[in-house]
Amino acid sequence: MASSTTGRVVAVTGACTYLGGELLRRLEEDPRFVRVLALDIRPPALAPGGKTEFIKIDLTQPTIDGELATLLERHDIDTFVHGAFLSHPTHASEWAHELEDVGTMHVLNACAGVEPRRFIMISTTLVYGAHPKNPNFLTEDAELRGHRDSRFVNDKVRAERQVQRYAKEHPGVEVAVLRFAPILGPTVSNMYTRFFSRPVAPVMMGHDPLMQFVHEQDAAFALQQAVESRAVGAFNIVGKGVLPYTTVLALLGRVPLPMPQLVARQLTKILWTTQLVGSPPSFLDFLLYLCVADGARARRELGFSPRLSIKRTILDFLGIAPEDGATDVARAQA
Amino acid sequence: MTDDSDPPDPGGDDDWYGEADPRVPDASAWPDRELGFLGDDVYLGAEAGIPSELAGSHVPSISAEGAAELRELERRVEQQRTPVFPIDLRRRLPLEGVWRRWRSLAMWGRSDIVDDFGRDPRATARWEWLFEFLYSRWFRVEATGLDNIPHKGRALLVANHAGSLPYDSAMVMHAVRRDHPARRDVRPLVEDTVFHLPFLGPIMNRIGGVRADPENAERLLLGDELVAVFPEGEKGMGKLWKDRYRLQRFGRGGFVKLALRTGAPIIPVAVVGAEEAAPMLGKVTWFAKNIGIPWIPVTPTFPWLGPAGLLPLPSKWYVAFGAPIDLGKAHGPASADDRLLVNRLADQIRTQIQDMIDELLGKRRSPFLAAFLG
Repeated sequence: MASSTTGRVVAVTGACTYLGGELLRRLEEDPRFVRVLALDIRPPALAPGGKTEFIKIDLTQPTIDGELATLLERHDIDTFVHGAFLSHPTHASEWAHELEDVGTMHVLNACAGVEPRRFIMISTTLVYGAHPKNPNFLTEDAELRGHRDSRFVNDKVRAERQVQRYAKEHPGVEVAVLRFAPILGPTVSNMYTRFFSRPVAPVMMGHDPLMQFVHEQDAAFALQQAVESRAVGAFNIVGKGVLPYTTVLALLGRVPLPMPQLVARQLTKILWTTQLVGSPPSFLDFLLYLCVADGARARRELGFSPRLSIKRTILDFLGIAPEDGATDVARAQA
Repeated sequence: MTDDSDPPDPGGDDDWYGEADPRVPDASAWPDRELGFLGDDVYLGAEAGIPSELAGSHVPSISAEGAAELRELERRVEQQRTPVFPIDLRRRLPLEGVWRRWRSLAMWGRSDIVDDFGRDPRATARWEWLFEFLYSRWFRVEATGLDNIPHKGRALLVANHAGSLPYDSAMVMHAVRRDHPARRDVRPLVEDTVFHLPFLGPIMNRIGGVRADPENAERLLLGDELVAVFPEGEKGMGKLWKDRYRLQRFGRGGFVKLALRTGAPIIPVAVVGAEEAAPMLGKVTWFAKNIGIPWIPVTPTFPWLGPAGLLPLPSKWYVAFGAPIDLGKAHGPASADDRLLVNRLADQIRTQIQDMIDELLGKRRSPFLAAFLG
């Protein structure tokens, strides 16, 4: 492990996100890190210990890159974790674009001026998009196709392309991109947890794609591993195993509402424009086609393998002890 | 319903990106919870190849004090359960039993475990009677050369394709599972058009079908599975009655590349009888594209008899498995990039299967009455 004698300094954008907060907590306990800068627009719930310092950084401000560069230089930051991304779609798409796409540009501008040793970006497997031609397991080399009309996904794709270009232009910086499968767990809140919290869920009639999740604790552990390791490149961070969508709904006890595609699309469009649901019509493609990633590379190079199976992840999201769920299912099958 | 519309407030303090859920009573409670029972992952068999009968066996037998402890834990977890509705109705009304019953009901007939590619061992078992009926009663399949299939390790079955519905892949699968001593599971590669058909696609997937994709096939073969490919693809299924048993072009030789790259032996398979099971007299294309299929088949029974017309005619079937061809011995994995060689090998194998088919056709006297005429 390469840690300088003085100890490492880490900066984290999006410190108030679930992963950002978890990373702060984990770095706080690790003596190899002497200082952690939490960058966000509001202070995170700081863990006691006193290593962490909150600095208000709003990535949508036009000259924030200069500010960030001074910060990088002054604190001699060795690892930069960029995680200021939305976890669920918003109707304020202009603002989302400023934050994710342009915000990444600001971050990279600063990191081009003052190069950190290591740069880590938090991304999602949604950037591959759900397409009928997807193989069962998408490797990191797969094209980032995003989604035809999902700004939520496409902003992340654009941000990731910028990071890839940055990695090429700055070979001295170790750049790692972590693509997380949808994160489920008892405390995290994102598009999928909100979607699965509703009592009723749409099903595209006659379609039942396989789904993949990663437990929040596994995801946080993977991020910690990425900060500590020296691996470069993109990594899929995925949970153990896959399950069909309708099984996921059944395990969650949600009422599946089968709809023909045409109806589902029109209905979601109306509900999305009237702001009654939190998932845009483009999300329906993820209920139609596969978007499952292969985590072999993270296991090989990052030393990360998920601890919890997909079923445990789902039951833990519900807050159910495994015995309960298991016997429930066993009884149902008997 | 939660309000997901975030104000476009750049300096705002509203919930931005996924922080802790405010509805959770104690969001930072993770480390404080009694994690003894969560500590090591109870394996639920969500991964590849866990036989269904083993899946439930992870529940450890519990002693008396263990049971009391468990009840205590359950009670505690119950208290900390994330409310699903804004008001937790379940806690106010005695809905827990109803909810449990509903979950059990919803799980009935569901794939509880699937392997990495979506195959559910229970689904296969559930449809077994139908396959067995089709295999031994309806089509009266005679399978020969099953000993050419290795007992373990990877192999690539290359077969001809016919009929508007993939009964042939189902029969090849069932033949190996039923009559091969190792009872191996064949993973057939399924064309996109069938794989994305509503209802049929997911069923194909649960009983073992995998979308025809070179990456999928390579992954399966590297996992030492038995993979069946139908290189004629859609062209094979779209053959008219007049072209029966005339093999179409074998794709672009993808299966040869696959065999070279993975070192899997190729086992040529000839299926005779599938053409007569659903003889396609003609196909209608003008309306079909609108409902997402390449054509609507016209058979002696379909569409005249409605959905019942999709049932196959009771033709007599023969399935022959040929001797394995080990391409890896003569050519190295690098030759997968030699296009001329790949195309030549693909055509050789096509000719070989055509010969096998012709031989079987010569043996057969009548497509339907073979049982009586021999």
